[in-house]
Amino acid sequence: MAENRKTTDVQLDAKRFAALADAYGSALHRWPRAEQAAATLFAESEEGRAILQRADRLDAILDRHHVEAPSRALHDKIVANATTRIRQGRHRRLWWLGFGLAGVGLAGAVAGLALVTVVTPDAPSDHYVMDANATSFGDAGPDADTEDL
Amino acid sequence: MGADPDEELVRRIGAGDAAAVQAMVARKLPRVLSLATRMLGDAAEAEDVAQETFVRIWRHASGWRQGRARFDTWIHRVALNLCYDRLRRRREWTTDELPEVADERPLPDALAGDEGQRVQQALLRIAPRQREAIVLVYYQELSNIEAAGAMQISVDALESLLARGRRYLQALLIGDDGDD
Repeated sequence: MAENRKTTDVQLDAKRFAALADAYGSALHRWPRAEQAAATLFAESEEGRAILQRADRLDAILDRHHVEAPSRALHDKIVANATTRIRQGRHRRLWWLGFGLAGVGLAGAVAGLALVTVVTPDAPSDHYVMDANATSFGDAGPDADTEDL
Repeated sequence: MGADPDEELVRRIGAGDAAAVQAMVARKLPRVLSLATRMLGDAAEAEDVAQETFVRIWRHASGWRQGRARFDTWIHRVALNLCYDRLRRRREWTTDELPEVADERPLPDALAGDEGQRVQQALLRIAPRQREAIVLVYYQELSNIEAAGAMQISVDALESLLARGRRYLQALLIGDDGDD
């Protein structure tokens, strides 16, 4: 494969040199980087010069094709489009930021509620509340005295 | 592959930097427009392709990560895909296939005085894949590896397309096939 050739061990024969000129034209800077050094050497030979001269006939014609520079209007239109998109992107980011903050707040509230539920002891049952006048010293309710009597 | 010279600019665009947008348009618009003009041979269509290419750049800039291809190569691929969409539409192809062979009829005599127009017409006569290879390597000055990457083919296949394309151009523009 052409892309795997190493610069140091590249040897060009006339056949390969001609194939490269057929593909890339007469300007060696367009040739595969790995083969440029060897190509420069071969280009100094009579055979090399003849091959490049042939390729240069087409290059000279191809070079006459120019594309007009982009108009200011096109440039400005593209920049304006980008500016609009960036602005919309910022609005979207702000909206998502607000949405995210609201979400974080909501998540915090839910987590707080869950924490309170887990940490706080269960509320006494109705039955227990009815016996709430019991103390650590025993039943201090009015019925206790009655029983003692 | 070394560092991508466009990477910092792309990152700044992704962060919403207006100055980076200006710099990117100044740097890439001439290249994209040249590519599209030579592929399509129509200035108005080329401008449309350039605009659509930049819309994709703005859309993808924030998520851009350098993989195997440079940003410039990726832009070329995007612009080329847009060109192919238009070529298919223009020719009303019933399939996705574009012609693999060149139209070898001689160029109109009316173009004799305008070398630039002759070259453009000759480029339009060769098969789109050959034209693509020549435009990328000859006019856009992509390296063989970058061009092959943009075309998603091997370097050997690229060289074959280049050689065949140049041979057809030689026949159309000079009148021989370069085998003298």
